[in-house]
Amino acid sequence: MMVNSFSQFESPVFLTIPLIQLALILPWAFYPSPSPRWLSNRTLTLQNWFIGRFAKQLLASSTPKVHLWATLLVSLMLYIISLNLLGMLPYTFTPTTQLSMNMGLAVPLWLATVLVGFRNQPTLSLAHLLPEGTPTLLVPVLIIIETISLLIRRFALGVRLTANLTAGHLLIQLIATATLAFMSIMPANATLTSILLLLLTLLEIAVAMIQAYVFVLLLSLYLQENS
Amino acid sequence: MAGHDHGSQHQFTGFAKYFNSYTIIGRRNYVLATYGSILALVLFFKLKPKKMPVTEK
Repeated sequence: MMVNSFSQFESPVFLTIPLIQLALILPWAFYPSPSPRWLSNRTLTLQNWFIGRFAKQLLASSTPKVHLWATLLVSLMLYIISLNLLGMLPYTFTPTTQLSMNMGLAVPLWLATVLVGFRNQPTLSLAHLLPEGTPTLLVPVLIIIETISLLIRRFALGVRLTANLTAGHLLIQLIATATLAFMSIMPANATLTSILLLLLTLLEIAVAMIQAYVFVLLLSLYLQENS
Repeated sequence: MAGHDHGSQHQFTGFAKYFNSYTIIGRRNYVLATYGSILALVLFFKLKPKKMPVTEK
């Protein structure tokens, strides 16, 4: 079996049992259920503070109809950020590097925002396909462009998350391999590449959190546009 | 930013009353007309009878 740079992204299988389900369930273990006590412990308080802060920031500028989606959006964001950050640990598998997984999240949610818009406000949803103030000659062209843009959103959502995570993991693996290779040959170069690896790892941690936020933010924007 | 245009500041007449890019209804009608035209074109080319080749006697 030829091992290449992309073998780290293969869905792990152990004794014919696919382990991706384990990777998908793992974030659940990191979020304890709410305590029945009046005052929770520090972990729970910190988590609740973060969740509340994020929810307020995401939904502050949105209409009350979008607030109905708060549970879904916040839980989705927590799930993706947990998967991404757990994937930054060495020798772990990141499910969000799989395009199938991200498309499985993006396509139904995008479709839901479009259908909610067409169901509740069909006139406004159709009117959004033509920007205000468009010159008459450009109207058919812009309508076609906006329709294509609407249809491409689902792919952009899924591919954005996949590409960012995959590229980051690939870069980390390549630079780590280079660092190991340089250690015996040119230790000075190995020092430089290890500093680069440290900076890249910090960047990837930031990207992991930002991409989860961007995914959910874009969904909330699409929802706001259609409600 | 995009908000609900109540159309009170636009006084359109004639064709522009129903097809304009400023009011919600006008923009909706433009979108529906464009989709209808594309559908009509597709149906026209699909249902157009194909010319039979002329056979030599």
